[in-house]
Amino acid sequence: MSSQDSQDIVTATTAIESAPDAKTRRYDRQLRLWAATGQSALESSRVLVISASATSSSILKNLVLPGIGHFTILDHAKVSHSDAGNNFFLEGSDSIGKYRSEEAVRLLSELNDGVEGRANTRTLEDILESQPEWITSFTIVIAHNLDHSLLHKLSALLWKDSRYPPLVAVRSAGFLADFYIQFHEHTIIESHSETSPSLRIDKPFPALRELALSLEYDKMDPTEHGHIPYVVILVRALEDWKKSHGNSLPKSYDERQQFKKGILALKMKGDEENFDEAEAQAYRCWTETKIPSEIAVLFSDPALSTDTLNTSTSPFFHLLAALKEFAAQSEIHTLPLTSTLPDMKSDTQNYIQLQRLYKARAEEEKQAFKSYLQVPVDDAMVDSFIKNAHALVVLRGKTWGAFDEDKGALAESLSTMPKETCIHLALSALSLLQASDTSVSPSAESIRAKMQSIVGQSIKLPDEADDAIGEIARAPFSELPNTAAFLGGMVAQEVIKMITKQYVPVKGYCVIDLIETWTGTIGA
Amino acid sequence: MATENGSATSSDWQDRYYHVDQILDRPGPRTDPSFLAGDEVKDFLRNKCKILVIGAGGLGCEILANLALTGFKDIHVIDMDTIDISNLNRQFLFRPADVGRPKAIVAAEYVMKRVPGIKVTPYYGKIQDKGDDYYLQFNLVICGLDSVEARRWINATLVNLVDPENPESLKPLIDGGTEGFKGQARVILPTVSSCYECSLDMLNKPTTFPICTIANTPRLPEHCIEWASVLEWPRARGDEKLDTDDPEHIGWLYSIAAARAKEFKIEGVTWSLTQGVVKNVIPAIASTNAIIAAACCNEAFKIATSSAAYLNNYFMLIGTEGVYSYTFEHEKRDHCPVCGGEALEMSISREWTVEQLMELLTEKQNIQIKKPSLATPENPIYFQQPPQLEEAMRPNLEKKVSELVPDGGEITVTASSLPFSLSLIITYV
Repeated sequence: MSSQDSQDIVTATTAIESAPDAKTRRYDRQLRLWAATGQSALESSRVLVISASATSSSILKNLVLPGIGHFTILDHAKVSHSDAGNNFFLEGSDSIGKYRSEEAVRLLSELNDGVEGRANTRTLEDILESQPEWITSFTIVIAHNLDHSLLHKLSALLWKDSRYPPLVAVRSAGFLADFYIQFHEHTIIESHSETSPSLRIDKPFPALRELALSLEYDKMDPTEHGHIPYVVILVRALEDWKKSHGNSLPKSYDERQQFKKGILALKMKGDEENFDEAEAQAYRCWTETKIPSEIAVLFSDPALSTDTLNTSTSPFFHLLAALKEFAAQSEIHTLPLTSTLPDMKSDTQNYIQLQRLYKARAEEEKQAFKSYLQVPVDDAMVDSFIKNAHALVVLRGKTWGAFDEDKGALAESLSTMPKETCIHLALSALSLLQASDTSVSPSAESIRAKMQSIVGQSIKLPDEADDAIGEIARAPFSELPNTAAFLGGMVAQEVIKMITKQYVPVKGYCVIDLIETWTGTIGA
Repeated sequence: MATENGSATSSDWQDRYYHVDQILDRPGPRTDPSFLAGDEVKDFLRNKCKILVIGAGGLGCEILANLALTGFKDIHVIDMDTIDISNLNRQFLFRPADVGRPKAIVAAEYVMKRVPGIKVTPYYGKIQDKGDDYYLQFNLVICGLDSVEARRWINATLVNLVDPENPESLKPLIDGGTEGFKGQARVILPTVSSCYECSLDMLNKPTTFPICTIANTPRLPEHCIEWASVLEWPRARGDEKLDTDDPEHIGWLYSIAAARAKEFKIEGVTWSLTQGVVKNVIPAIASTNAIIAAACCNEAFKIATSSAAYLNNYFMLIGTEGVYSYTFEHEKRDHCPVCGGEALEMSISREWTVEQLMELLTEKQNIQIKKPSLATPENPIYFQQPPQLEEAMRPNLEKKVSELVPDGGEITVTASSLPFSLSLIITYV
């Protein structure tokens, strides 16, 4: 072990923190999910919300509480009688006649002193016309039940340049809703995947192999024997197996059972849990350590080609390029080792010894990985990237509305996910009908006709269409408080994932039915 | 406050319920024919329906606000907790100046101030303080709790309340729960559909560390923290009660745990982890609570008005990777000690002692009865209370079950903290 390592361990185990400050205490329950890095991303974000509807206010509530940096509500309407009845961020009849945006901003701002809120009472048409750069200066833009043609203009503006903010388009009527996140590209290092990286039991690094081969079971006392970590037991068992089986792994079911029996036969006493654990984890011996297929796909990502990768490319793709090179150059063609060792039956000495072997090897591989980096990248980001290398995510999106213009995709979706697709189409039909005439409630027949025109006359709408159409025709202009609150949580959650670049946001249209209470995703 | 004929109240302004009324004025394609569109259903919702909210925390705050906007006007809320600074990232009815005040009272005041004409009646105390008469007055109960034991108690209480002769005695229970980006909402019709106790085996097993690992062979930072709280605290601080909200107490544990970690060269003991382990902190965010609370209130609205079908009967949400949800019907369990009615057959060894059987009852996923008391139809075996009786029966713990109960015999198990009993049929192998 290098002196650098031992120093790290000394500092890591001696530095004493003082009690957390008020802000850390306030955010404690969320910091356990997205840590200081996620929190700082939230605090630097600027969110634009178009309309101060009940749904918009609910979305913002769930963003102001965890502490985004800034929000602006763009809305020129005055509070109506019906607004005052369904929005918790208006003060009942006292708010009637005042600007919705100003009232909502005032009341939302009370939730968190650390967040800056602004109201803007201009119209979206006006700003799209005269000051589009104001819109593109935000981190993310959210629009609820926006007029169809305005939404089109807004999405076109935000799609023009891949550096422009993502757009979240939210639509609802009565018990039904959907929302869509328009983004060009979204890369995630900290996906918080539940799969764990390989421990390299099938391809042990030299120090691990040496440790396993040095075991002398017959010379151990029962205490020692009962504390050998399962990783070491398995590496040794596999080495021994390979020696007696012409260097091949246990392949057939029978061989694998035999291998497991062999592990249990090593027990000195019946109650040695470390050997039970080794038997239970034996599958790791025939789960080959290799590049996971999801990551292998990323290696052919167009962003990695030499003509596109340059100093202005995001660090993510430079890290990915280095990862690809590392995998190509590594003897066993795999990802760099991570130093996180899961817990296992053992004692302090054996476990810490093994942990240090992994740590030392991970450090060596990290240095090798870094040598392939073409640009300097912050060390904390490199560490995080290696730790999550088995679960990196690259999402590429489509423009809002592209799905509704793709007749083939719609037909396919109607046959595989009819309920979800019908609700989505009925909401699309409603917004098209409202755009042409806002004064009358659309009839079921007009909604059906509009849906039919979206999918094309040759496609038969499934039976599920009746449920969606009937429910939309029942309450076309209804923004139910519970639907607004449900969407408020859903949309805020996805916006948090987009801003923090942690966890994986939904791709496609997330459709919500609050009658049977389900959600589904289509048009990804 | 309500007028005689019950349509409008003084605080209602024209179009106040424009949005909700679109749903209440006409049925949808999936609405049950029993739905009485128009004034009658509005009158019931706004003037007659009485709803109880249990918990005024992360879910409770959201639930109260949603119910008030939906038009429930007679809302009661119970919570035994006071406000802590770590609540403020999601419990949006509370401000820094409210820290230390009872959640139920502050939440009720806030909702009444914000939504005119709504009556919210708070009770600052435990659900166990209230008896059957109290629970019988409500039409619906919504739970936003973080405690399994409290849920089991209210669930069993509402199942026991059902009198087949009196349909009014069946109180639908809507239960929500969240953890980080995950959550669930469910509708329980006591005695009719699967109850909370029926699904006990869906709970994650809590992490426990063997005491010998903590004392002798720690590997993880958690082992060092447990050492500080379980072994060192009573040794050094005597009878002083550990308060997991007291920064001095957490600071003390943290420094002891950090010293132990240093001695064993273990990394990762932090203040935050120390608090997380000793307090069993569950991550919680506003957005997940908003989703689950809205789902619960939406079910309350649909059940109270019959304006649409209600959830049958379990909605599960996982928001870590995209939006994944699963809606399904959780089945009633015949052997459920609360609503099942059938005795549970249990085969044990003839050599087992009463104490071993009790351990099994505590640990088994579908039973989980802490501190059980045991009796045969003829004789008591072991009672936890009162102390004299407990002492007198303690020798039975060492005895073999087979000496006290014949093959195929029955044991009735009761839990001191839960209002139900479990019948076991014991057979020997």
